[in-house]
This record gives sequence, C-alpha cells and structure tokens, in this order.
Amino acid sequence: MSFLRIPFKYRLLMPMGLILLAIMIFPLGYSLAISLQDYELSRIGQERFIGLDNYIRLFSNSSFWTAMGNTITFVVLAVGLELVLGFFLALLLHNKATFMRGFFRSTLLTPMFITPIAVGLMFRFLLNSQLGVIPTALEAIGLRVNWFGPDLALFSIVLIDVWQWTPFMLLLLLAGLESLPEDPFEAARVDGAVGWAMVRHITIPLMRPIILAAVIIRMLDAFKVYEYIYAITRGGPGEATESMQYFIYRTGFIYFRAGEAAAMSFTLIIVITLLVALLFTVLRRESA
Amino acid sequence: MKARLYHMVIILTGLAMLLSACGGAATPAAEQPPAAEEAVTLNIIVEQVPDYDIVAELTQTFMQENPNIKVTFDAMPYDAMRDKILTSFMAPKATYDIIIVDNPWMDEFPAADFLLDLTEYVKNTPGYNFEDYVAPVRELTTHDGKITGIPYYNYALGMIVRQDLFDDAAMKEKFLAKAGRELTIPKTLEEYLEVGQFFQENGIAGAAMQPQRGYKVFEEWKNWLYAEGGNVIDADGNVVINSPEAKKALEMYIEMYETAAPPDSLNWGFDDALRSMASGQSATMISYNWMLPALNNPEGQAGELAGKFALYPVPGGKAVLGAWYWAISKNTPNPDAAWKYISWLTSPAIDKLRVEKGGAPVRASTMQDPEVWEKGYGESYYTTVYEILSNCEPLARGVHADEISNEVGTFLNAAVAGEMTVDEALAGIEAKVKEILAK
Repeated sequence: MSFLRIPFKYRLLMPMGLILLAIMIFPLGYSLAISLQDYELSRIGQERFIGLDNYIRLFSNSSFWTAMGNTITFVVLAVGLELVLGFFLALLLHNKATFMRGFFRSTLLTPMFITPIAVGLMFRFLLNSQLGVIPTALEAIGLRVNWFGPDLALFSIVLIDVWQWTPFMLLLLLAGLESLPEDPFEAARVDGAVGWAMVRHITIPLMRPIILAAVIIRMLDAFKVYEYIYAITRGGPGEATESMQYFIYRTGFIYFRAGEAAAMSFTLIIVITLLVALLFTVLRRESA
Repeated sequence: MKARLYHMVIILTGLAMLLSACGGAATPAAEQPPAAEEAVTLNIIVEQVPDYDIVAELTQTFMQENPNIKVTFDAMPYDAMRDKILTSFMAPKATYDIIIVDNPWMDEFPAADFLLDLTEYVKNTPGYNFEDYVAPVRELTTHDGKITGIPYYNYALGMIVRQDLFDDAAMKEKFLAKAGRELTIPKTLEEYLEVGQFFQENGIAGAAMQPQRGYKVFEEWKNWLYAEGGNVIDADGNVVINSPEAKKALEMYIEMYETAAPPDSLNWGFDDALRSMASGQSATMISYNWMLPALNNPEGQAGELAGKFALYPVPGGKAVLGAWYWAISKNTPNPDAAWKYISWLTSPAIDKLRVEKGGAPVRASTMQDPEVWEKGYGESYYTTVYEILSNCEPLARGVHADEISNEVGTFLNAAVAGEMTVDEALAGIEAKVKEILAK
C-alpha cells in the first residue's frame, strides 16, 4: 500500500488524526477497556476481564443513583436559575439607559474569575453558623437558617454555583443580544410592541440558538460539580450532596477501584448525552 | 521511490516523537544504583502539619552531617497525598523515595507490595530500640511479619476540656445542685452527656463535635463505641457493629449533638471544632491530643484563653489511635540512603529532640523523660498521652481500612442528620462493611 496513493486531503489530516488518537481516542478506549475489568490500582497485575459486571452492579448500587439524582437536580436548578438571572441581567445591561452600565458590566463578571475551590471555602466560612457573616446578619432580623442541614445543603450548593456562574451566562447572553439584528425590533416597535411583549415575542425567539448553546455549555460544566462539595459538605449530610464527580473520584482515587470508577464515568457520559439530545429536541421543536 | 521514502521518514519521525513524549522516564542511568559516595537526593512526601516543620528543621543537621545526602520535602495537605503517593509507587522510578503512611494504609500498601521490607534494616541498626515504640503504635508497623513502617508521630484521640470551667466555683456549685454530684472530668458517656448538657444550659456549648461525613465522624464516634464496649469488627474478623452497645453509643452521640453541640454543626471537621474551642464557644471536644499545645500556645489562635485547656483520656478510657509512619518506596533507587535518614530521624536521641520542640511522641522513653517534660509541655501532658497511647486501637485495619472508615462515616452522618434511624444506620454499616470485606 503506497502512502502516496492515499488522497492528498487525507494525508493532510493525518498529523491531527494522530494527535487525536494519542490524546483522545486512545485514553477513552483504554478506560472503556478498564471498565470491563476488575481493575484495582493497588492490585496491579491481578486485573481480570469481567465483561459488563461493573455496569450491572451499578444498577443495584443505591449510592450511585442517589448521586446521579443529586447531580441532575443540581444541574437543573443551578443552570435554570443562572439562565433566568443571567438573561434578566443581560437585558438590563443591554439597555443603554441602565445606570452605570459600563461599571456593572465589568464588576458583575468578577465571581467567575475566582477559582471554585476558593469560592467553596469562602462560602463555608460565610455560612458557618458560629463565625459566618450571613447567619449573623439573618439572626439580626430573627431568621435562623441551617444552610448545610439535610434539607437545604444541596440548595445551598446550587446558590453558590449560581453566585459564581451567572456571570458566565450573562456574558454569553449579552454577546448574543448585541449581535441580534435591529430590524425585527424596529418593525415590532412600529407595530406597537413594548416591554415584555417585545422580549417574549422577538428577543427570546431570536436568542434561542444562543440560549441553547449557553445552557449546554453551562450544563456540561455543572455536571462536573466537585469543588464546593469537597470544600464544604464532602457529600453529606448523609448522601444529600453526593455528586457524581465526588463519588467517582472517591471510588477511583481514594479506594483505587479504577474499573468501577470507569464504568461509572461511562454511565454518566450516556446519561449526559441523553439529556443533551433531549434538550436539543425540545428546543428545536419549539422553534419549528 | 525517493518521495515515498521521504514521506515514510517524516511519518516515522512524527510517531517516534509522539511516543517518546508519552513514554519518557526510564533511562538506563536511572536504573543503576548510585555508588556510596555519590551525591544522593531523597525526595519525601509529607503532610503540612506542625510536626513537619520540626522535622524540616532537624533535617538541616542531618544534611550537615551527611553532605552527600540532600533531603527535599514535598509538603501538602492530607487530601492531596493519597493519589500522589500511588502514582509515585506505580512509576518505573519512585518520585518519592520516602513517603509517610497514614495508619489506614498500613495494611493496604504492603499488601500491594509498594513498601520496602525494613525488618533487616531495623535489626542491623545498633541502638535503635524498636521495642521502645508504644505497643499499639508498633503493632501497625508490621504486615505479614515484615516491618514496613517506622512510627513518625501519633494523633490518638483525647478529650480536651476548658479546665477553668471545670474548676470554676460557681459552675461547680450549680452542677452539684443540678446533678447531685461533683463536677468532674467525665469518665463515662453518661457523665459526658450530663456535663455537656449542663454547660449548654449555662451559655457555652458542651461539646464541639465533628459529625462531618466520611472518616471524620467515625473518628469521633468510635471513641463512644469503645466506651460502651463495642467495635465494628471483632478480633476474629466478624462484623459486630449491629449490637446493643453500638446502638446505645450512637443514640447517646446523637443526643449529645442535639442537646449540647454548637447549633448547625453537622458538617464540622476538626478545624471547625478547634476554632470553636479556641474562640471560647465550647467547653470540651474529642480530638487529636496534639491540639492541646496548639490551644495553650499564648501566641496561638486561643489568645487569652491559652493555658486554660487540659487533656484527658476519652470517656471510657479506650481511644481511637491515629499514627503516621515513615516508609521507603520499593521502587526507590536509594534505599540505603533513605534508611540512613529515617533511622537517624527516628533514633531515640533525635526523636527526643523532635518531641522537645513540640512533636507528638511515639516512643515510651521519650514520654517518660523528665528532660522532655521540662523542655516540652510538662509532665502531665506526656503522661496523659502515654496513658492514651497505651489503650487505643485504630479505626479499621486491613487492605480496605480507608474505604471502611469513609463508608461507615456516611451512615453515621446520615443518622446524626436524622436522614435514617439508628437501627437503619447500624444495619447499613453492617451490610456495607461485609460487602467491602468481601471484595
């Protein structure tokens, strides 16, 4: 087989193909292979092929499904809130009449420049019932909230994520708003549309592709929630804030059971893919 | 033909570059052990704790005495250590020649054949006095009859109290009126609960507890379990956690949390509890014995409360043992230099210096040395630590000790949070531990 007989365009693709093979396809294939083995990092040399056992066992692992449920709840709540808040803020900042628009544009973005582990630690102290500023302030007006108790812990983590990542949503949506064509708005104005009607019937439909992109980017990121949980609750109380990433991390890197951890990761990939497909279908249908 | 050859060469070069970037490491030079006089660098992974600062200071003397051995430390927080250690073990040549091993890993790492057998080294080092290590700490050094770890420092649990509150005349009088007995340091769980609730009623939290999910809550609660005479696994390896003793111990622990701990402290770890003690908001805590000197340090975080704290054995007397060990990676190219360093640092003379400077003791001779009492934290501290260390047992043993500790802690935390009943939690622990042991 002569190398020169390969069409020129494919020869040009080869270097990139090789790089992708080395850094993406090989590791993925390798971890897929690990997921089919009884593979413990502290028992190297004793690994054996067990087929789909790791996957089958996941079905009866209640902690895994609790973690999956928590993670999906977290993603839906966090990304939903970020979208609503981000969109509202983007509309405000897009409006040329907004007071000190330039100043707010830059300051509102700052939370997303902080490393998430630092944000986790910050809120751990801010919400600490003995030392924290927030509980002290709330107590002054007669409110007692146990932020990290069984009922609220997951929601508190959602709020922290909203605090940090709404700016990201804002940034994407604002860029989207600024790139929208002026004509439909002018036409609507001529027809007498104002305020909410304008947003509902012109802005949102035009923004749909951008919203879809923003939601997917944030969603994929939110599925990786780890730092806040690690810094604050360690998955507790009980399993109330156990997230997929924390669960997989513990299985793989604390208990060294790489086979099981790989099987969990692939199951998570399947679930995420299904969710993204669902999101696409829903938003496409609406726009059709 | 020429063009084909040219293309092949380019592709092969590209492939070779890619592969070499992935492979790296094993060069022939690395596999040859260095000659005796050749300069050697020992890389050591350690946890960033007060004891490490003392070790780093002492190591300067070692390097002056042994100019051909350079010691470098990689100090980091606990949570970052386990995976770094594992990757070092699995590399063709160790990243860390010497590692420190936490007691839950002391069966796991030797079973995975990661650690160098030190038995002969110990035997052939004159004046080392290995038997001097307190028995419960020494027991963990040995796996399958081989010594694979050398004790570094202990973190057995004790009860730290605000002595001034226990000595306060008004408090004593009030307690006598309420309980009908003298206000004394609690020796049983019943007494501890009663004293805790008494302080709570008098404006200070009775116990800064640490019910955080994971090994943390287990580390605290297992002292309660011992106090009732229970255990998770008995001497024959049977899972005995689902017992009346465990039920009582967990019920009392939850009652203490609900009636005498600082409010909303469900996710507290040892640092939160320490802050609560240091800021005068709690009267007692069950924590690492080495925290007492930190609290009593006038320049430490307790400020003017420094000097008012005292250490006692936990109620019931038997405590959870925690200890760190020095170990040598099996894949180090410098085993002799590594042993030279470890045996120097842990020798009776240097260990004494370490403890005098504030290190947590592991050798009986050090704890019984009047000179150490004088230069360190006083006789009562060392005799109490010795008493604690003489009657203690680790959280779990075996190759899955770390996983057992973490999983048990999940159920305990859920029970304290009210997410499950005490019976459900204990049954859950029983099933989980059996499942882990069967792996």
